[in-house]
Amino acid sequence: MPRQVGSLPLPPHQRARLQAAGFETTDELQGIGPCQLAEELAIPREEAMGILRMARGQEGPVNYPNALQLLVEEQAEDGLLPTFSSALDDLLGSGVELAVITELCGAPGVGKTQLCLQLAVDIQIPGCFGGLGGQAAYLDTEGSFMPERLQQMSEAVITHCSRLASTKQERDQQDALKTFTPDFILGNVFYFRCFDVTQLIAQSHLLPDFVDSHPKVRLVIIDSVASPFRHGVDDAALRTRLLISLAQRLAQLASTRRLAVVLTNQMTTRIHPNSTQSASLTPALGESWGHAATHRVILQWQGNRRFANLIKSPTRGEATVEFTVTSEGIRDVPTTPSLPATMPAIPTASMFLSSPTIPTSLPSTSTSSNLILKSPSALPSLHMTSASMPPSTSASPAVLGCTAAMLADAASSCINAMTAFRMATGEKMTTSSGSSPS
Amino acid sequence: MRPVRFVHEVDINPKVLAALRKAKLRLLKDVLQMSVSDMERLTKLPTAEIHYLHKTVAAAICLFPPVTALQMSLGDCPFPTQTQRVSLGCPVLNSWLKGGLPTLGVIEIAGESASGKTQICLQLSLSVQYPPAYGGLGAGVVYVCTEDVFPARRLHQLISLQPQVRVDVPSDVITTIPFGNQVYVEHVADVDSLWRCITHRLPLLIARLSVRLVVIDSVAALFRCEFSCSMAVRKAKLLQHFGNLLHQISHKHHSPIVCVNQVTSRMDDIGDRPTSICLTSQRIIPSLGTAWSNMLLMRLLACRKEVKTILDTEHNPQCAVEHSNCTFTPQTQRTLEVLFAPHLPHSLCHYVITAEGVYGVRENDNTNIARVESHKE
Repeated sequence: MPRQVGSLPLPPHQRARLQAAGFETTDELQGIGPCQLAEELAIPREEAMGILRMARGQEGPVNYPNALQLLVEEQAEDGLLPTFSSALDDLLGSGVELAVITELCGAPGVGKTQLCLQLAVDIQIPGCFGGLGGQAAYLDTEGSFMPERLQQMSEAVITHCSRLASTKQERDQQDALKTFTPDFILGNVFYFRCFDVTQLIAQSHLLPDFVDSHPKVRLVIIDSVASPFRHGVDDAALRTRLLISLAQRLAQLASTRRLAVVLTNQMTTRIHPNSTQSASLTPALGESWGHAATHRVILQWQGNRRFANLIKSPTRGEATVEFTVTSEGIRDVPTTPSLPATMPAIPTASMFLSSPTIPTSLPSTSTSSNLILKSPSALPSLHMTSASMPPSTSASPAVLGCTAAMLADAASSCINAMTAFRMATGEKMTTSSGSSPS
Repeated sequence: MRPVRFVHEVDINPKVLAALRKAKLRLLKDVLQMSVSDMERLTKLPTAEIHYLHKTVAAAICLFPPVTALQMSLGDCPFPTQTQRVSLGCPVLNSWLKGGLPTLGVIEIAGESASGKTQICLQLSLSVQYPPAYGGLGAGVVYVCTEDVFPARRLHQLISLQPQVRVDVPSDVITTIPFGNQVYVEHVADVDSLWRCITHRLPLLIARLSVRLVVIDSVAALFRCEFSCSMAVRKAKLLQHFGNLLHQISHKHHSPIVCVNQVTSRMDDIGDRPTSICLTSQRIIPSLGTAWSNMLLMRLLACRKEVKTILDTEHNPQCAVEHSNCTFTPQTQRTLEVLFAPHLPHSLCHYVITAEGVYGVRENDNTNIARVESHKE
């Protein structure tokens, strides 16, 4: 059906010329050729062809997906991007979300770069372990990327996956482990160094083509967005405009190619002259930048402890959790400090894993380490806090995504495992909103 | 590779180039920073053409192709990366820091007065001059003094004792290094002259002479005395500019910049920094605020405590019970603490200062402090 020429998405000067030349609806554009139109409107021929194509294209049915299709697409996603701290994963809702921008704001030294490095390794966890098996693009503006730290974290992740593979004895996991080496992981992180604002903006223009030519890239990290913009652009209005357009490009990249985009921001001190508390920390880059990210997490110190506070999210409620950074990477804080490993005080899940394929007691470090297992039925939605696991004498317990269904897999009797597990953990199981696990 | 700045240096369609020239867009930076609709209005180019122009300009600006982290760790990278380290001159301190200080970025050493910061900087000024095979960078140092006069006599004492300290280096290598001649000292007394020194003299010195380390002792002295509390915002902005400038110089010339900072006490905890393990009072923090801290790659804290230690507790077990019969020796326990670094955990290392310089002390040597005073590794 004919549309008004003014409603077509054309640049203003073209629209003005069309209307000045007397064209009212798209019907009137039907019989005319591009050269004639170009002559009449005094515009280049390519522009005239563009107008005609648009006018004709409007006749066909427009195809927009509905919410159900989007939900199916989201749930068909076959893996997660965990942070290896179950507290942080729960905060963000089963790991870092794909197809949206997540912003990490934090004080210096609190762990923003560490979290980015951890994610660059975690995106590569193979599908048979519940990950995405993808690659990462790391845009560095501050020069704090250390390959040796990435190597340390990848070795820890490989050790964890090997432990999982040895307990489950699945063919595809064993095969995946053959190629999952530190060199492989380092080789799948693409590093871009941006020395100033112009290079960062230029790189953001080149990212879509890069992602198209490297279709396995599922994560884009920019560490940090704040430093080039705070120092390279003097005019505040220009800075806001550049930030917003960067955010739009990144959001489009994230949603069209279903990538996770993680940005890092700095904190600045805001003085309160008239209140009891003289100063507080606030994310840098201004108020309008606050709207750019979908999820916003603020990382702060309290004494020597690190806390993550989710202040903006459309899907999760505001919450604060504690995490720690160890030599292995981002982990949960150990909550049972001084019980000896040989005498667990509470009945633990390992007692019920009596199936012959699994050792009766998982080794002390691995019970408390991540159990990322593939769950074909639902996204792993149960997180056990480390209080439920036998206290380990080593530093870093973290559990992710072990559903009751997986324990049932491991143990011989499904119902028993479920109830016994519930007894063991008390009531400390959190389910993600809505979905039922098994 | 020379960076490309102007539109005419890029391979663009002549028609597009003419349109850009008419719109007075000469710099690539301006082309990228302008929005698509503004550019359409100014140049009358179609949208698709403008998107293609953006991509061409972006490709010209991004000098280096993406490298993988594996290539970086193997050294196969066209730009400098954080794989090299500068030795601190002591094997214990080096192993604690996993090789030494990084060579790209601004590193801060904060601490109370007389905690040993200048001694560490002097030792670093000498260790950087050794060839890369022995942990140095084979180049000199620019030492900017803002507080006291430069301790030249102490430097010469350290130089004369280098053969005894660096036993890992052959003596013929040590004798060929003109230590004193490669330490360039600048004295600045206020923020303006510091600014001039950093913006004008420093790049010249680095370009003309072989200099690969810059020490600023100290940054805090000038900024804290010239800005009163009411000028906090201006001070923060200036610190930000200053920090950014140092950051750029460090990355452009592949030279670490070590800044010495003072400490201050804070009123309330706004959660912007970790508390120190070794400082007795938890209210003492490095000065200069968040604006400065954001620019740092790594922050070290030097502290000093007077502790009463009982010597020889193994041989004299009664000492543990009857304190009055033992000799108490007040010892100065010095600690260097990593407050944050991208590759190091929050940890500390004890050290001592002797005539020969700064020596790190391992944990198990702590009980036997008498031996450490004549410590030779």
